[in-house]
Parts: sequence; structure tokens; C-alpha cells
Amino acid sequence: MNDKTEVNDIDRSLHEEKNVEKHRYQSAKGLTPEVIKEISREKDEPEWMLKFRLKALKIYKNKEVPTWGADISDLDMDNIITYVRPDADLQSDWDQVPEEIKDTFDALGIPEAEKESLAGVGAQYDSEVVYHNLKEEMVEQGVIYMDMENAVKQHEDLVKQHFMKLITPNDHKFSALHGAVWSGGSFVYVPAGVDVNIPLQSYFRQNAPGSGQFEHTLIILEEGANAHFIEGCSAPKYSVNNLHAGAVELFINKGAKLRYSTIENWSRNMYNLNTKRALVEEDGVIEWVSGSFGSKVSMLYPMSILKGARARAEFTGVTFAAEGQYLDTGAQVIHDAPDTTSTVNSRSIAKDGGHAYYRGLLKATKNAHGAKASVSCESLMLDNESKSDTLPIMKLQTDDIDVGHEAKVGRISEEAVFYLMSRGISEEEAKAMIVRGFVEPIASELPLEYAVELNNLINLELEGTIG
Amino acid sequence: MYNKKLVDNLTTGQSKLLSSRRRESFDLFKNLTQGDYKRINLIDYQFPEYSPYNKEYLKDKKGQDELLIKRMTDNLNNEEEILNYLDQFKDKKVEKGNQGLDPKYLAMAEAFYNTGLFIKVPKNVELKLPVEIFYELDQENPVLIDNNLIVAEENSRLTVVIDYRMQDQNLEAFHNGLTRVIVKDNAVLNIVKVQRFNNQSDNFDSNISLVSNQGELNWIPIELGGRNSVTNNENTLMNDGSRASISSVYFADGDRKMDLGFKMNHQGRHSSSEIESKGVLKDRAQKVFRGDLYFQKGASQANGSEKEEVLLLDKTVNSDSIPALFSEEDNVEGEHAVSAGQIDEQRLFYLMSRGLTKAEAKQLMVEAAFNPIFDKIPLNDLKGSVINDVKTRIRS
Repeated sequence: MNDKTEVNDIDRSLHEEKNVEKHRYQSAKGLTPEVIKEISREKDEPEWMLKFRLKALKIYKNKEVPTWGADISDLDMDNIITYVRPDADLQSDWDQVPEEIKDTFDALGIPEAEKESLAGVGAQYDSEVVYHNLKEEMVEQGVIYMDMENAVKQHEDLVKQHFMKLITPNDHKFSALHGAVWSGGSFVYVPAGVDVNIPLQSYFRQNAPGSGQFEHTLIILEEGANAHFIEGCSAPKYSVNNLHAGAVELFINKGAKLRYSTIENWSRNMYNLNTKRALVEEDGVIEWVSGSFGSKVSMLYPMSILKGARARAEFTGVTFAAEGQYLDTGAQVIHDAPDTTSTVNSRSIAKDGGHAYYRGLLKATKNAHGAKASVSCESLMLDNESKSDTLPIMKLQTDDIDVGHEAKVGRISEEAVFYLMSRGISEEEAKAMIVRGFVEPIASELPLEYAVELNNLINLELEGTIG
Repeated sequence: MYNKKLVDNLTTGQSKLLSSRRRESFDLFKNLTQGDYKRINLIDYQFPEYSPYNKEYLKDKKGQDELLIKRMTDNLNNEEEILNYLDQFKDKKVEKGNQGLDPKYLAMAEAFYNTGLFIKVPKNVELKLPVEIFYELDQENPVLIDNNLIVAEENSRLTVVIDYRMQDQNLEAFHNGLTRVIVKDNAVLNIVKVQRFNNQSDNFDSNISLVSNQGELNWIPIELGGRNSVTNNENTLMNDGSRASISSVYFADGDRKMDLGFKMNHQGRHSSSEIESKGVLKDRAQKVFRGDLYFQKGASQANGSEKEEVLLLDKTVNSDSIPALFSEEDNVEGEHAVSAGQIDEQRLFYLMSRGLTKAEAKQLMVEAAFNPIFDKIPLNDLKGSVINDVKTRIRS
């Protein structure tokens, strides 16, 4: 009677396969100015970057761990290895990448995807990028897609002008940490009017146990440019806790449009404390597509700052919290210019004791007259071991705006199941249809291979009797 | 100030058990740090000097013979009964819904209350007429600290109206109140609270309730006044079919600041709750709306809804909304919705095309939003004067 629909977890074996740990250089555990200097020397960085790192380290030491949100007391910051250089140099020919690392990315489907549908690919293994490639026609149009380390040297002015200007070390403890120890990540520059019509993809893989990954992604779209960037993350599971504190800074100039898709599938011992921000100028568009499935703890709230008139932000996210997971995610939108618009659409599923938390912010400043915003959050609970919370904060500082918000929580509607059954569909299939329907608005926004991954995730098993 | 000496003074002539409860609360008060209300910039608030409240605050009790009404400050012979009721709030199970607006304010009210009533409607008694309480602050009585306990016993029915008001527009007054409510099986209790202080006065108010099997509690909080007004209304729906509703109206103009919290804590199966809030902000007013729906484990088939609609009349207003939905139980239905914006241009235009001025049209729209809730005020005089107050202030 009244059996619960069983939703299976994704088969994690693929993502959690670990390789023998091989690296050329590994920084000492813990955080001291010496470690920072060592990382900087290893990377052969310009002086200003080292200064910046040391300044950020100071801020990090003085900042408190946030008291709200997740309990991160399990995370032993002093014992996280901040920098691991894999035993490989950066390659742009896939065959040159060491066998082991290549196998890992092959298993994840990266080069295959590149052949088929990507304009460029970057792959990061531990702290360093091991592979980066961009299609020739894109290079010809002046598109830059390279790893952050090389960008710091080769496009120093551009990087210096934007690097950690949107997310500063002063923002919170983990942005300060990021500023001090960042390593790897991708740099994308799209010149005015250029349309990168096929997606660019970076894949982050963390292999070393007890380490941290702190990649920095910087994307600059000049006037009227158009791009789609895909970020994927995974790591094998070790018994020690790993930390991911990356930073993503997106600069979207006049009339430019960026879609930023993320599928985060870290293993279940990962603390994912990532910071993402987009600054959108006049008529610019940012579209976030975000799937959070992995990690032990996530605290992730991508922010869109709509700074130019008529700028637009869209956020489409799905969070799936299963056993042992606390996923605290949500979108932040700041309307700081006239006639800006935003749409936030979030779906979360909690099962087997998982805890899904939507925490969002919508702010309209004095400049935001004529702004329109809508926020919609829906949560589905698959059993009563799990928890689901919603906390969308709204802060309005002007009158001429139109803001709407809706949230719902509940389980699969028995009436809907009954209706479908009366139409000749089995109970199991009916429930499966409802769950698939629940995430459909998000699934349809994902690139095909990720939509397939999501579908696997919501692979409903036939179980239960008619209640 | 608020020290031991004052407690000693206040307990002189008061019955024993209630006196010792005052002292316990004082011990708590001493050691607590005061919370801040950062969103309305109310930080390190200093309580003004204590002053007694010596006026009559209960309207004559015609047709209320069956009702038990006592002043909490008197020497009572039924104090054990009161203590027993108060102890029900200490139950571990209801702790989540027993916080008041801030532990310090709560302890302050319980240690230093200068007024307050114990009202009990006995089992199976149904009162047709509402109980009317009015606290009117003036130069001689500028501090009001009321500690009320309202109990609706099994199968009873009662409506209580509490009006907080003042005539003097220059008076700097202070109110910190606590109203505890118990609704027993099958009882229905309605509580209307109207707050119309001037813009020099500060208002703090905690309302805490426990609702039993099939009991029903309906709050009608109408917040129109104060320089700073911080209120909290939290309800624990303890058992099968417990119900609670809040129909709230707020209107803030000038430089008024409001921080309003509403909480529904679902514990019982089939418990249901509804929060409906209609607000208008004008001039440089600031407001924070906090609405929490908790579904605790075991509250299966509970449903809760929360809806806030706020009209923003000026560019300089500040409106924060923090609706929260916390769920530990899958078999529930919870939803919340917020809408914020200006008066619909088309409707305004339509009314103006019918010969109304813009100000009149605006006023009519505000009335249309508020009236369904004002209609729940059972006293015509009070309702009329509330509607009038809003009218005048919308136009100015």
C-alpha cells in the first residue's frame, strides 16, 4: 500500500573511477605565504598576480566561515592540498595527452563530443589544464579560448583588467581562498560581432585525494558577440573530503549573449563552494542552465548583475539531492538599470534523506524602473526522509517594477497518477512520466548529451503496488 | 531602568507564582543579548525608561458573564491555572514555534509587563459579542508592556479585538507586547489586532499560539502605525486538523519602517494554514515581510499557503519579502506567492476615464485591496475609523 516511487541514482562508476595518483608537483598541505609563492613560481606568473594572491591570502585568514547554509566543519581547510600539477604538459593534440588522463576523459565522452558538436574543448585534470583546443575557423575570427595560466601571460592586459574584478577576495572566505590559490580554468574572449555558433566546453576533473580545485573561468564577450559555454565537473571518490572553490566571471558587453551551462556531478565527498557572477551591459543577455547532482555539500548561487538598460537574465536550474547530500543552490539577480528583465525557474528533487535548499535573491535598485522579474521554484519530495526548503529573498527599492514569485513543495500528485492510470498507463510509468514532466523545462534547455545524463538520473524503476 | 529593583516593585501585591515567573524572566532577560533588525536599520535599540500604565483598557463586559477575564498584574487566586497554560509553551515539541520576535524582547515583556489580560472562554461556550480591549497611549501612559494569555477551551467560540492607538501625534511612546494563545479541540478563536501608533513611537509585538485537534485560529493583524514596528506571529498546528489563518494588512507611509514576521509550524496531520497579506508602501516607507511555512516530520497531508501582494506607490519605498518554505515531510502541499509592483495602469486609466482624479482612483484601488480584510473587523466603529485613517493617509 502506498509505496513510494523509486528513483534510482545515476550510475556513478564512470565518474568515480580513480586513477593512480601521479603528479609532478604537489604543494604542501595547508596555506602559508610560502605555499602561495611556490605555486606562483611553479606557474612562472607575472609579479602582480603573486601580489594579488598574497593579498587574497591575508583576507582569507581574516574572514569568518559563513554561519548560514551548510555545515562545513567537516572540511579540514588546513589539510586540503591546494595545488596539484598532473604529470602532463598542456596539449592541443588529444593523442599527446598521457594515456591514463586521456582514458578518463574518453570515458567521460569529452573528445567524442568535441568531434561532433563542440567548437572547442578544454580539459582540466587536478589543478592544471591538460588539453585545450579550438576549431580553426574560430581562431581566424579572433576568438581566444585557452587555459587561464597562459592567458595571464599572453593576454596580460585583458586579464589584468577583468580578473577578480566581479568576484573580489573581499566577497567571502572562499572567494578570498580562490584568489590566493586559483589554478587552471579557461579564458574565453569573443570579439565584437562574432557568433561562436557551436558550444565551447571545459571539463574539470579532480583526481588527487584530499585536494582542492580552484579553477578560474573568465569569459569576455565584446559588443554583439554570441557564445555558449559548457562546464562539466567530476571527481573520483576518496574517503577524504575534497574542496572545489572555483570562480566564474562573465563579462557580457552591449548586445552580447552568453549561455553558460553547467552539469555538476562531483563525487559525494566534495564540498562545492563555487562562485559565479555575470555582468550584463545594455541589451546583453545571460542564460544560465545549471544542473546540480553531485557533491556532498554545495553552496552555489550564480549572480547576474543587469547593469545596462534592457539587459536580460534567465536562470534554469535543476537540483537533485540524494542520500547524504546537502545541496544549497539558487539564483541571484540584481536589476540595476531600466527595463531589465529576468526569469528564474528552479526545480528540485529530494530523496533518500537528501536535503535540497533553494536560496535566491532578487534585487531591484533605484535605477531599475520598468524592470520585470519572475521567480518560480518547485520542489518534489520523493519520501519523508528527505528535506526540501525554499527561501527566495526579494529586495525592491523602487516602485515602477513588476515582480512575481511562486513556489511549491509537495510529492507526486496521487490524482495525476490516478488520472493517467485511468487512461491505461501503469502506475510506475505514470509516476515516471510525472517526474520527467517535472524536470522537462530544464531538460529541454540542456545540450543533448547532458539531457541524456539527466534522463539516466531519473531512471524510474518499476516498483510498488497500486495503493 | 529595567533592573531587579523594578521587578521587586512590580511583584509587590502580585500573586506568588506569577511573581516568581517575572523573576525567572528577569534572570533570562539579564543574560540575553538583544537582536538587531538590520533590514530596517534598527540596531542596538535602547528601551525607553519604564513607566506604568494606569488606564482602564477593557470595555465593559456586557453579555460576557460566562467569560473569565483577569488582569495579569493583580493578586489572582487562579494563578495555578494560568501557569499550567503557560507551561504548555515550554513543551519541547513546540519549541520551534515559541521564539517570539526575539528572546530578549520576549523576556522583557514577561518580566516587566505593566498590563495584560488572562481571557478564558470555557468549554462549549459560544460568545456572540467580541471582547474589546483598547490600549490608548498618552503623555501620562507612554509605555505599554502587555502580557496577554487567551484560551479557548474545547468547543468554544470567541472573538477578541485589541486596538493599540494614540491621539497625540507628538508623543514618543513605546510598546512591547506578548500575546499567547491556546486553542483547544474544536474551538474557534478570532483575534483582531489593530495598531495605529504615531510616527514617533516604536512598536514590538510577539504573538504565539498553540492550536489543538480541529481547533481554528484566525488572526487579523492590521499594522498601520509606528516609527518602527516589529511584529511576529507564530502558530504551532499541533494535532490532527489544526487550522490557522492570518489575514494581514499593512500600510506604511512617510519614514515608517516595518518588519513583519508570520510563521506557521505544521506538526499535526491534515493541519492547514493560510497566510494572506496585502500591503501598501508610500513615500520613503520600508518594510520587511517574513513568511515561514514549516512542515515538520509527521505533518502528513498538511497544506499551507502564503500569499503577499504589495503595492508600491513611490520610487523611494523599500520592500523586502522573504517567504520561506521548509519541508521535512513529502506528503504535504505547500506554496507561496509574492507579487509586487505599481497599481495597474490600465485599471487606473479606466477609473480616470470615468471622471475620477488620479488620487481618487489610487485610493479606490487601495481600498479594493484592503476591504476584504477590513470586513473581518467585527466592530463597525473601529472598521469605519480604520478605513478613514487609511483614506486620509493615501491622499496626503
